[in-house]
Parts: sequence; structure tokens; C-alpha cells
Amino acid sequence: MFRNILKKGRRLAGLGSLVAALTMAAPVMAQDKEPVVFGGSIPLSGVFAFAGIHIHAGLTDYTNWINSQGGINGHPVEYVMEDTAYEVDRSVAAFKKISGSSSPATYYGDSTGFMKAIASELNSQGNTLMSGASFATALTDNEQYPYQFIPGPNYSQMFGIILEYIATQGEGGDMPTVAFVYSDTEFGKDPIENGKARAGELGIDVVEEIVTKPGSVDVSAEVLKLRRVRPDYVVFHGYVLSPINEFMVQMRQMGLDTQFMGTFWSSDKLIIDKMGADADGYMGVMPYNYYDSEESGPMLDALRAQAEKSDPEAGYRPTGYMQGWFNAMVWTEVVKRTLDAGKELTGDNMAESLASIEDWDTGGIIGIPVTVRNMSFPVGRIWRVNAEEGRYEPVSDWIHLD
Amino acid sequence: MDWLFFGEISLAGLAMGGLYALIALGFVIIYKATRVINFAIGEIMMFAAYLFLAFAGGMELSPWIALPLAVIGGSILGGVIEKTMIRPMLGESPISVVMVTIGIGSILVGLVEFIWTADPQLLPSFLPREPVFIGPLYLAPKIAYGFLIGSALLIIYLLYFRFSRGGVALRATASDQAAAYSMGINVRRVFNMAWVFGSLAASLAGVLVAATGGLSPQFGIIGLSVLVVVIVGGLDSILGALVAGVFIGWLETVAGAYLGGEYRMPATFLVLAVILVIRPYGLFGTHEIERV
Repeated sequence: MFRNILKKGRRLAGLGSLVAALTMAAPVMAQDKEPVVFGGSIPLSGVFAFAGIHIHAGLTDYTNWINSQGGINGHPVEYVMEDTAYEVDRSVAAFKKISGSSSPATYYGDSTGFMKAIASELNSQGNTLMSGASFATALTDNEQYPYQFIPGPNYSQMFGIILEYIATQGEGGDMPTVAFVYSDTEFGKDPIENGKARAGELGIDVVEEIVTKPGSVDVSAEVLKLRRVRPDYVVFHGYVLSPINEFMVQMRQMGLDTQFMGTFWSSDKLIIDKMGADADGYMGVMPYNYYDSEESGPMLDALRAQAEKSDPEAGYRPTGYMQGWFNAMVWTEVVKRTLDAGKELTGDNMAESLASIEDWDTGGIIGIPVTVRNMSFPVGRIWRVNAEEGRYEPVSDWIHLD
Repeated sequence: MDWLFFGEISLAGLAMGGLYALIALGFVIIYKATRVINFAIGEIMMFAAYLFLAFAGGMELSPWIALPLAVIGGSILGGVIEKTMIRPMLGESPISVVMVTIGIGSILVGLVEFIWTADPQLLPSFLPREPVFIGPLYLAPKIAYGFLIGSALLIIYLLYFRFSRGGVALRATASDQAAAYSMGINVRRVFNMAWVFGSLAASLAGVLVAATGGLSPQFGIIGLSVLVVVIVGGLDSILGALVAGVFIGWLETVAGAYLGGEYRMPATFLVLAVILVIRPYGLFGTHEIERV
């Protein structure tokens, strides 16, 4: 019995020493390296939740991964977020709350509307760099939005990449014709004027423009309009899924051999999962490698390993996940460059660090080294749906706009 | 003018208008019998479409079994809503009842997000895919067959309301509740029946519209856009719902085709404004005169 008491006593003493050591060490560690906070207004519910939950997973997994690598120059990273239901007023409230309590160095904005609405406050605070779900062309205006950037090409640049690809597809000296189909929203209209101008420069004839009202029930009248002009390509923008499926199915039923293309948010695997065989041949512009692509690289491999570790049952990770991860990757690079330069994490310093990114190797997330131009990464690749394989396959090289 | 194109556009619009008429019928039946403007009609449509997705997609039942199951499910939902949430509000101000229907809509959106997630969905294909030609005019098959199915229900409804005991009770209650009650008609049961029939029409329209335009938790917004149809036709007029539904469907499509998609809504709201000025109670609605 005495031996037992002695054993327990030794164990308790050992535990006590450990606790004491941790208690003494913890404040020293915390004092040495303040955490770098990634904030976020994340749409975990509401109309954009289908993407928001994956964006959140990408940001969470990246944060865990970077902390497992020792953080940023030894600073641990904290990811602080609030659900916004994709409503601008809730996003603004979340930003105020998080910026008041956690002083985030970087922040994820869930919509163009929010990022525009918060710009004046962000500019006056001057201590946070923001990016997010938006690829809006307007946000690359450095004068108005000096502390916001696009984690890929903006929508106009996406149209530029698509049109450059189309321009290479002419046969016998004929330039293909194109029609733009977009939703009657700020999101839908974003790249249209620049797209038409770029098409003109490339000698591509834009033979029709179709605007659909949001939540459009039936598009058969619009399909009839397209049948009259028989475009070689239809480029969709401002949609996630519907009505792309209806345009494709009805135009094929009419015997048209038009090819169909879309921008980032309408180029996820969702199109394949929901449309099945009808999705075959659909093409999208994507700045990142797909999770299930055959490409590899140290960061892409790390992403896959972290995704597998955090949720082994999840399988394929959508483009929202890749986008969330890439956002956090850019934030890390920017913070690291700013700290390495011995500067404070202010909006100006971080924007300067972002602008200095040139020929950056993203470790396979993007297939070629990338250079920041006007607060965006104007790079992408055209991918085509192979419905039988259930995935997108590359049909172009990486296109980096100047 | 290209008359062939105009004919095809008009045909597409009229067929779509048929589906609008079906949704409007769901609105009108409930309003006519109970004087409740049901702002949750779009969400009832959505819920039925999700039920179809669950039966035909998840449980892999034949779509032709899933369709009646989903429609019956939607109508039962309507009956339950009336019995548990609307009936206790009898005698309360109309605004309170309207707020309850708006709340029910939000609950249904939350429920489908919880069960089926917020992902956009496509319903399993169940309508023939071969193009439909009426003479030289092309009509998209989903719209054509959707119109036929919707029309079949409309005809059944019209016959039911005209000739059956239940239909007569419903019409009697609509015209004078007190008189109907004094004649031994179970008015509470009629109220419940109106919600069941209204929700049934909306549920069928929900599945047919979702089969064409896709499905998401925001699908219910369509119900609100059909409010224009109901006001133009007259809130308490079944004939008004049918005529205005077909007309607004046609107008929207023709405006979209010739002026551009951004003019679809302005065109219908222009008609709404004109009708409200000329006939505030709608084209076929009852002109109630209050004598002081």
C-alpha cells in the first residue's frame, strides 16, 4: 500500500512538474511571437453556402497546416471567422467585431458587395489586407481599393483567357464566333464590356448577348435567339449551375455544335455531378489545378494530405476549397515578405509586399510561376469536362496575361 | 419581322404562362376560401420539388411514382400548415397572418438547407427529351410536356369546383362564410381543403418548374414573382389567375426576346402598374364596395 501511495505521489509530482513547466513556458512563447490573425466573413449559410463551407474548410486546413510548419516566421496563425449568410450587413458586422477584437492582418470577404461596402473603413483603418470570394474587375482599381486583391484573374481577365483560347481554335483562317450569356446582376455584367473590347482586339465576332433574369425559370426563348446566330462558342458568366444545363441541352437538341464555356464559379465539379453525361465537353477557365487533376507539386501534395487528414471521408474537394487555401497561401506569403523586410503589418506595407510578388512558385496550386499585376493573379487554364471520367481535363497550356 | 421566330417565342411564352397560371391557382384557391395571402406558396413549391428529388434521386423511385408522391407530400404540408399555424390565427389581423406565412417560408428554407444542403440541384430527367414541333414551330420539350401536365390538373380542378360537393362547399364558403356556416357547411374543413388543394397545385408547378430551371433553397422567390400574375388577374378569381398567368408568361418571354432579358421584369411590372390604376381589384377580381 505504501508503495502504491509512493508511486502515485511520484506520478503526481511528475505531472506537476510538467504542468509547471508548461505554465511558465507558455507566456514566454506568447510574448515572443504574437499570433497573426486571418479573419473572415464566411457564408456558411444562405445562398452561397454551397461554396462557403468549402472555402471555410480550405482556410481552416491551411491554417492547421501552416501552424504544423511552425507558423509564419514562428508566429502562430489564428483563423477567426463569423457566418454571414452571404448578407452584406452581417458581413460588415462580422468585420467590425473581428477587427475590434482580434486585429486581423488579413481578411476574407464573402462577396463583391461586402468588399465594396467595407472599402472606406478598410482604407481608413489601414491595417488589414483583404481578398475573398470576389473576382470583380472593379476591385482591382488600386486607387479606390488599395488594400484589396483578387486571388486569381478578375472576371475580365477570365474572359481574356477564354477569348485567347477561342482565338486559337479557328480553322482555315476563320475566326470562331462567340455569344455571351450572363445574368442580370452586377456579378453577371462585370466582364461584358471588357470582354467585347477584347474580342474586338482579337478579331472575334460577338454575335449575340443574352441577359437572363436571376432565378430565370425558362430559357427556351433565349435558346431560340442563339439558334438564329449559331455561335461557335457560348461563354456563360454569373451562374453556378442553372441555366447553363438548359442552354446546353436545348441547343444540342436543336442540332447545334456550339461549344460551351464558363468562368470560375461555374466551373466546379458540381456541373458534372448534377448534369452527368450532358456536361461532357463543357469548358471552364480555372486559375488553380483541380483537386483531382493529375498535376502535382509540393504545396498541392500538402493540400491533398491536409484535406485527407482533416476529413478522410470527404474525397474530392471543390474549387471553393482550393480558393480558400490559395487565399491563405497568398496572405502567408505577403505577411512573410513584410516581416522579412522588418516592416509592420500595415495595409500599405502588405499591399507593397503583394505587388512585389513576381514569378512566384505556388508549389503546384497554379501550374506556372505567377506575377501579381494590379492586385490580381492574371493566370488561368482552360479545362474541359470528361463526363465519363467525371472530371475536368486541361485542354490548353497555362495562359498568363501581361 | 420574322414571324416564325415570333411564333416560336410566343409559343414558349404561352407554355411557360401555363405554369405561372398553375402557381397562381394555388395562390387564388387559398385566398378565395380563407382570405389569407399565402407568401409561403413559393416555399411549398420548393419543398415539393425537393421531395421529388428525394424520391426520384435519393430513393431512385420511378419519376412517375415520385411525382404524385411529391405532390401529395406538398399538399399534406399545406394542410398541416393550415391546421397548426394558420387556424390558431383566425380572427387576428390580416397582417399578422401574412407575417406567419412569411415565417413559414423561412422555416421551410432552413429545413431544406438542413436536409438537402444549400447546393444547387437538378432534378432527375423525367420528361421526354425529343424536340416538339407544332407545325413549323419548335417548342422545348420540358416546357411543352410541363404545360400538358399542368393543363390536365387545371381541367380536373375546374371540373371538381364546378360539379363536386366539396367544390360547391368551397365556392359557397368563398362567396359568404356566414351563410355557408348557417347552411351546415363545415367551414373549418373547407379552409383546410383550400390549403390542401392550393398547395397541391403549387407542388405540381414546383416540380415542373424545377425540372426546367433547376432547384435551390432560393427557388421559392418564383412564388413572389407570380404575385404579379395574381394581382393582375384578381386575387380571388380563378379565371383571372389562368388568363393573367398565360398573358404574363407570354409578355415576359416576348419582352425578353425582343428587348433583352433585363426588360422581362420591367415589362410585367409596367402591366401591373397600369392594371392597378385602371382596375385596382384586378382584371377579373371582385370589386368590393364598403358602405359606411
